[in-house]
Amino acid sequence: MPLLDIADLTLRIPTVEGTAEILNDVSFALNRGESIGLVGESGCGKSMTALAAMGLLPESAQTRGAIRFDGQDLLRTDEAGLCAIRGRRIAMIFQEPMTALNPVMCIGAQIAEGLRLHLRLGPGEAEDRARRLLDRVGLPAPRFSPQLYPHQLSGGQRQRVVIAMALACDPDILIADEPTTALDVTIQAQILDLIASITAETGMALIMITHDLGIVAETTERMLVMYAGRIVEQGPTAEVFARMAHPYTRGLFAASPHAAVVSVGSTEGRVRLAAIPGQVPDPVHRPAGCVFADRCARQTEACRAEVPAAMTVGPDHTAACIHPVLGEVPA
Amino acid sequence: MSLDILREGRAKRRIGGRNRNLWIGGAVTLVLVLTALISLVWTPYPVAGIDIPGKLATPSWTHPFGTDHFGRDVFSMIMVGARNSIVVAFVAVGIGAGLGIPLGLLAAARRGWVDETVMRFNDFAFAFPALLSAVMITAIAGPGAVNAIIAIGIFNVPVFARLARGASMSLWKREYVLAARVAAKGDVAIAIEHILPNIAGVLIVQATIQFALGILAEAGLSYLGLGAQPPQPSWGKMLNDAQTYIYLAPRLAIFPGMAITLAVLGLNLLGDGLRDLLDPRLRRER
Repeated sequence: MPLLDIADLTLRIPTVEGTAEILNDVSFALNRGESIGLVGESGCGKSMTALAAMGLLPESAQTRGAIRFDGQDLLRTDEAGLCAIRGRRIAMIFQEPMTALNPVMCIGAQIAEGLRLHLRLGPGEAEDRARRLLDRVGLPAPRFSPQLYPHQLSGGQRQRVVIAMALACDPDILIADEPTTALDVTIQAQILDLIASITAETGMALIMITHDLGIVAETTERMLVMYAGRIVEQGPTAEVFARMAHPYTRGLFAASPHAAVVSVGSTEGRVRLAAIPGQVPDPVHRPAGCVFADRCARQTEACRAEVPAAMTVGPDHTAACIHPVLGEVPA
Repeated sequence: MSLDILREGRAKRRIGGRNRNLWIGGAVTLVLVLTALISLVWTPYPVAGIDIPGKLATPSWTHPFGTDHFGRDVFSMIMVGARNSIVVAFVAVGIGAGLGIPLGLLAAARRGWVDETVMRFNDFAFAFPALLSAVMITAIAGPGAVNAIIAIGIFNVPVFARLARGASMSLWKREYVLAARVAAKGDVAIAIEHILPNIAGVLIVQATIQFALGILAEAGLSYLGLGAQPPQPSWGKMLNDAQTYIYLAPRLAIFPGMAITLAVLGLNLLGDGLRDLLDPRLRRER
């Protein structure tokens, strides 16, 4: 049985303009110790999927489907039950180390918070654990005392503290929500290495949320491509990178700087990135049929008739497209 | 190199300027508090000591600020008046902060109808000027220092509630609040341990300013005869008494007037200085 099994998760949030369709029939499973990547552009529902798994959805959210964690459906668990799971068994590394730490609380106390409340450790024991966690994330004593305040640390160091907070209770699943977006490129690799080594060492499952295909390629075994609240393609990372069956995945790859080396169409010696034309449809007015049709070069009448079902395009690899791009990605 | 020196010099000057407010305001406030404390154990003359033959005496070595129309020592009365002002303002700020801050935190934490209800009640309380509500309270309960305190205190509640709500509203959206929730913290614990320390700076500054306003309001109320009652001296009442003798002995109005002005000025300077010291935005852009 998978550790986390999200089945047909649909999420609606009523707004003044109408009901926003945030997630539509999102299904995937995460096994113990597995690492999966969730990719897509901003507003496609990546973070909302993570918040749903953490039981941190806004109160007005209407949900359908199931989020089964270790056999327990989190959508049907009360606040007290969720409290025992979130932070304890499913932990999250937040995106923005500047706001994820309280500026007026010392870092040791912030790391110890979860230990004291979830694991009921005494102050002394919690402090010891916080010290060891700081060592583990590469902030060794005596240079980095638990008594330091966030403003005394750099962005990368703060992100290490945030990681220490997430690791505090030794969770089963670690969700990293764009953990390196706010960091310098030079620090990004260090933080990713840290996350990778910790998950490998402890056997934690990892959900890496990012818009950076390079990060997915480096840190995950399986990847899900999301677009406008739907999973449009999923499969083993290497397999998805080799085929890229959904036109959106190809577009996303062509638009990322990693692809610049293989992309054509350079003008005056500089390589131009291929942008995907158009915009993500507004969640209040999602089109019928394939959500990507408006921006897709391969769209036909049939695309608008109904939502395409996931089609198997390779081993354990599906794409929700009726005109998938078949064949290997030209290198 | 030269740029560094320039920057350092500028930083120093700014810190100097910042400290000036804090030091002057702090010194004036300290003098005010010390005067009030000393008056508890010692005043040059008893404040109720009427000495008709020696009335309206000009300032001299025996009576540094002269005497009033009953021959009471003005200096002693100013000292006891300081105590009266401080007690009224302090308790009133305490009432305002003690009720207002929890209400504001609650409104920001709960949002929705709780927020609406709390804030509309605050608007209602805020709509009445402090003096007007004091007149109303004294009309119901009779004049006296206690009723003045209650009236000024009620006026302070919406000030603190609004400030606490406004300052904490945006903090609830911060990721560290989410992180605290993930660490199994309840809303009350988050409000007290995470939100409150973050807004403490603005609240302290506001408390200082409200303290000054409290002194002013107390003077206004006792000027109208709604505050401290005779023989308890208060600065406002001294001003009122002096009105009759304004041509004969203008100093009777000048001394309490100066005392009020200095106290309010000192507290405002202290508030400004504290704001510069505590506001993280000003501190960071060194």
